[in-house]
Amino acid sequence: MSQSPLTFDSVGILASQRNRYPLLFVDRIVEAIPGKSAVGIKNFTYNEWFFPAHYDDDPNVPGFILIEAMVQTFIMTFLSQEKYKGSKTNFVGLDKVKFRRKIIPGDTLRITAELDSFKRGLAKGRAEATVDGEYACGAHFTVSVPGVFDKFIPKK
Amino acid sequence: MSSETKYAKAFIDTFGIDEAKLGGLKYQDIDEWDSIGHMNLMTVIEECFDIEMDIDDITDFSSFEHGKTILRKYEVEI
Repeated sequence: MSQSPLTFDSVGILASQRNRYPLLFVDRIVEAIPGKSAVGIKNFTYNEWFFPAHYDDDPNVPGFILIEAMVQTFIMTFLSQEKYKGSKTNFVGLDKVKFRRKIIPGDTLRITAELDSFKRGLAKGRAEATVDGEYACGAHFTVSVPGVFDKFIPKK
Repeated sequence: MSSETKYAKAFIDTFGIDEAKLGGLKYQDIDEWDSIGHMNLMTVIEECFDIEMDIDDITDFSSFEHGKTILRKYEVEI
């Protein structure tokens, strides 16, 4: 019998991953199938620290923050597994990045992430995000879990 | 395809290098064979020969030549 999807509120996310304010960019995981996929929600309000700087006359979410929102949802595909819960992660690869929609105060980003493979502490996968059903951005990621990955590095 | 050809192809495809560079190639000799490249190479070799290597063999797999010796443990003759 397959396991029911998990959900994580902000407290659950903080227990699962190591990103913290001002660099935590996922508010809720509405569905996680450990080892397979995760769906995350990020609500943007004008109170975000970066809007006054990017830009004062045209506030919109910087691309690097959209990348972080997507990768932070992506890592929940494997950090939702008890054995990896709370592990540190390192961002090691980024590919096929697309930005197609400006994200502004009041927008809610819905991020869908898939884990393609996880072997020896090296996770590969993808995420894409929408606002009100409209495609906003997407990317492919490679992320390591150094606590696992480092055990497999050759001795020189 | 012979085991030798498959073994060489794993390196060539993973690192995007010419066959001429394989002789004497060691971990970290080229930018592509870093820690991430190493894990990618191990996955390709395992899939290629339908084996699963032990952690000690993965950390010991430090050169093109020594890799051949390690694979003999898994009944892969190159």
